[in-house]
Amino acid sequence: MNLLKRRLSCVVMAIIVLLTASCVPAENKKEDKLNVTVTTTMLYDLARQIGGKYVNVQGLMGSGVDPHQYRASAGDIVKMQRADVVVYNGLHLEGKMGDVFASLEDYGKTVICAADGIEESMLIKHDGVYDPHIWFDVSLWKLAAKEVANGLSKADPHNAAHYAENFELYDKQLTELDKYIRKRAEELDENQRVLITAHDAFSYFGKAYGFKVMGIQGVSTAAEAGTADVIALAQFIADNRIKAVFVETSLPVKAIEALCEAVRARGFETSLGGSLYSDSLGDETDGTNTYIGAFRHNTDTVIDGLKGDDEIE
Amino acid sequence: MDAGIEIQLIAALTAAGCAIPGSFLVLRRMSMTADSITHTILLGIVLAFFVTNDLSSPFLIIGAALTGPVTVWLTELIVKTRLLSEDSATGIVFPLLFSIAVILITRYAGSAHLDTDSVLLGELAFAPFDRMIIFGTDIGAKGVYLSGGLLLLNILLTVLFFKELKIVSFDPVIAAVMGFSPTLINYGLMTMASLTAVGAFEAVGSVLVTAFMTAPPAAAYLLTHDLKKLLIISCSIGGASGILGYNTAMLLDVSIAGCMAVWTGLFFMAAFVYSVVRKKRGAAAKC
Amino acid sequence: MNIFELLCDHTVLVVVFGSALLGMVSGLLGTFSVLRRQSLLGDGVSHAALPGVAAAFLLTGTKDSGTLLLGALLSGLTAAGLIFSSVKKSKVKFDAALATVMSSFFGLGTVLLTCAQKLPNATQAGLHSFIYGQASSMLERDALVTIICGGAILAVVLLLWKEIKVFVFDRDFALQLGIPCGRINLILSFLTVLGVIIGIQTVGVVLMSAMLIAPAAAARQWCDKLWLMAALSALFGGISGAAGAFAGALAPGIPTGPSIVIAASALAVFSLLFAPKRGVLYRIYLRHKAMKKEESYGCGN
Repeated sequence: MNLLKRRLSCVVMAIIVLLTASCVPAENKKEDKLNVTVTTTMLYDLARQIGGKYVNVQGLMGSGVDPHQYRASAGDIVKMQRADVVVYNGLHLEGKMGDVFASLEDYGKTVICAADGIEESMLIKHDGVYDPHIWFDVSLWKLAAKEVANGLSKADPHNAAHYAENFELYDKQLTELDKYIRKRAEELDENQRVLITAHDAFSYFGKAYGFKVMGIQGVSTAAEAGTADVIALAQFIADNRIKAVFVETSLPVKAIEALCEAVRARGFETSLGGSLYSDSLGDETDGTNTYIGAFRHNTDTVIDGLKGDDEIE
Repeated sequence: MDAGIEIQLIAALTAAGCAIPGSFLVLRRMSMTADSITHTILLGIVLAFFVTNDLSSPFLIIGAALTGPVTVWLTELIVKTRLLSEDSATGIVFPLLFSIAVILITRYAGSAHLDTDSVLLGELAFAPFDRMIIFGTDIGAKGVYLSGGLLLLNILLTVLFFKELKIVSFDPVIAAVMGFSPTLINYGLMTMASLTAVGAFEAVGSVLVTAFMTAPPAAAYLLTHDLKKLLIISCSIGGASGILGYNTAMLLDVSIAGCMAVWTGLFFMAAFVYSVVRKKRGAAAKC
Repeated sequence: MNIFELLCDHTVLVVVFGSALLGMVSGLLGTFSVLRRQSLLGDGVSHAALPGVAAAFLLTGTKDSGTLLLGALLSGLTAAGLIFSSVKKSKVKFDAALATVMSSFFGLGTVLLTCAQKLPNATQAGLHSFIYGQASSMLERDALVTIICGGAILAVVLLLWKEIKVFVFDRDFALQLGIPCGRINLILSFLTVLGVIIGIQTVGVVLMSAMLIAPAAAARQWCDKLWLMAALSALFGGISGAAGAFAGALAPGIPTGPSIVIAASALAVFSLLFAPKRGVLYRIYLRHKAMKKEESYGCGN
């Protein structure tokens, strides 16, 4: 067993070497700009809009990443350590990670929970738990933006005036977006305003803009659909002649395909209306990496699809 | 303490803590137990949620912790009938419990974001930021105390019951003759393994639980016949995988747990090659 | 909708038929896995498929299901190969090799996923769950694929039946008879991996694992002959698939996949308890009868 002993001591030495090697001195904090680390892509855009050139924003989740399926990589540790400010959504969107973020206050960081800016009465509750998808209602997102602006000002009072100014400008843009969505929604009749997707993320959108929202399965990623649910939904679509159903970028397409097949079997043809940005924004290439860009896209896709226009993606 | 050091410490402690019960699982041909528990944990969380209706309640973690022992007890029950092998018993229990969980979630809590990640952190990258604060003082990351505690508990129980564990693992018939109940030891062992698995899930995540519990012991099994050496080698390999995995992940900026799991596999491969070469040399020497 | 209407409904038919078919194929393949103490191979292969999916995406940049499934298949086969060769060439047991290979492959998959996560490409969304289907979203093409693959698997099994039979029960004897055990092992493993990959894409990991074990475990309690066990296992699998799928169609809020698992597990538990000769309660009943007989003899003196 001497060979074994030698091998073991090699391993032990290697461990000691590596432990010493990983004793990296604490990173020098970035000088003039405020370091902001955020979770979702929506918050990434928001932080950049409010912070402008005074902040250096790092997002933990890249474009297309579903917050429910997010896996951290080693570099995220550095992003967390370097941050002066941490912004997260709250309402359990980030799961247990949200609790960890909240406790970062004690680390001397400013922690902004976007959902804190919204009164409880404005939130939707399902099964006794708050729905975290607040970004689907532009008026609620404005409140989140205000919360972010306040938080940034608290962390960096020197530039507070700039953050307030950026917020005012962005608030106007959000108001425009809200108007746009309402205007487009009016192109549809009451009974055409039905938004059908794979999972129930769009409740706030439905409540704010007068859409009936139906998903094949609930918010939880652990839930599964049953054939009866698919059939009931298919029957509803066929009875009400809903022209389109929609896919989400962060979810598999198959459930919606099965729904379309079921509808077809009932003698009605509903089309795959297009892809919606639900839990994540899109790419820089088509401008959907901003909240406003993505939600304009969503609105156009939904309205055009339900109207039955030919410009379906 | 530097975040990187803390992560490696948590990983190493968890790996060692898992390697101990893991060694006995491997010897008992129940290696897939850890994987089974990572699925059934959902049921414990769901049931606890129905009682409290609060996603942030600590009761949910207790629910998760209890499912471990329940899973292994049910599996042991089936194994005891001697009608099915250990792997088949495991493979009947976990899909059943998991499916019950999914049905309950879908019917009664489909709109709550109910999933294991709402209860168990299981992400090493954030472990340094989850602090243990006693009387206003920060004494370190929670993960360190959890994994350290589990390791100590495992070492204590193994040292106390070493003789019994050894005999039950290698010759259950003699155990019965010698007058102690192999059943009791088995249940005790499985309970300890399952609680360690749940603790490891919280500390390092589901990807690593199975890896830490089976790969190092499997590698060690190829290198030695002696139980004591097996335990020590498993713990060392586990610890080494943790440290090497972290540093590789930092280099490549990828998932920390993933790298650690890959390293456990690499150690196993190395042990496998070593044992094959040694066998060939042994056979050649005999000529 | 009443029962009759349900039975004629297109979606119900597709899901029931597809699930029943998948259940039969799994039951057949599961017979061999359970007898060879390799039942959890399904679960293992499902996890080991992840790096293949991630690699396929990273190499081609598309989320085309054909490409991803091919990646999954190659990854699964590689893992199976590693598991079997480590068992053959060293003293490590199957379950340990399975758990080790499966968890390190899954770890590799996670690493690759975090690589993909960092690419500025929104299509990488949902990659992780892409190959994991749900029973309720079964399409016509899934049923078709199951028929074709199931038929192929059945054909191969029937063709090699004699060899497989000896190989499963008595390997040494098989070697003596000159049966190419290595090749039979390879073929059976390939069929199983293929079945698993098709299965998880259709109905998901947990359901597929259950269908590869529960029907065969149930069938084992009722007979000793291999052909009978295989047939019974396929039957149980088919019944569970159909029953569970139908249950999902009866009322809203009943997930299809888990219902199938419940049906299959119920059959297994029932068999464990009540099967003649082996069943637990049956044995207790027999013992009780025997004790009563003894007493009556004793008193008669």
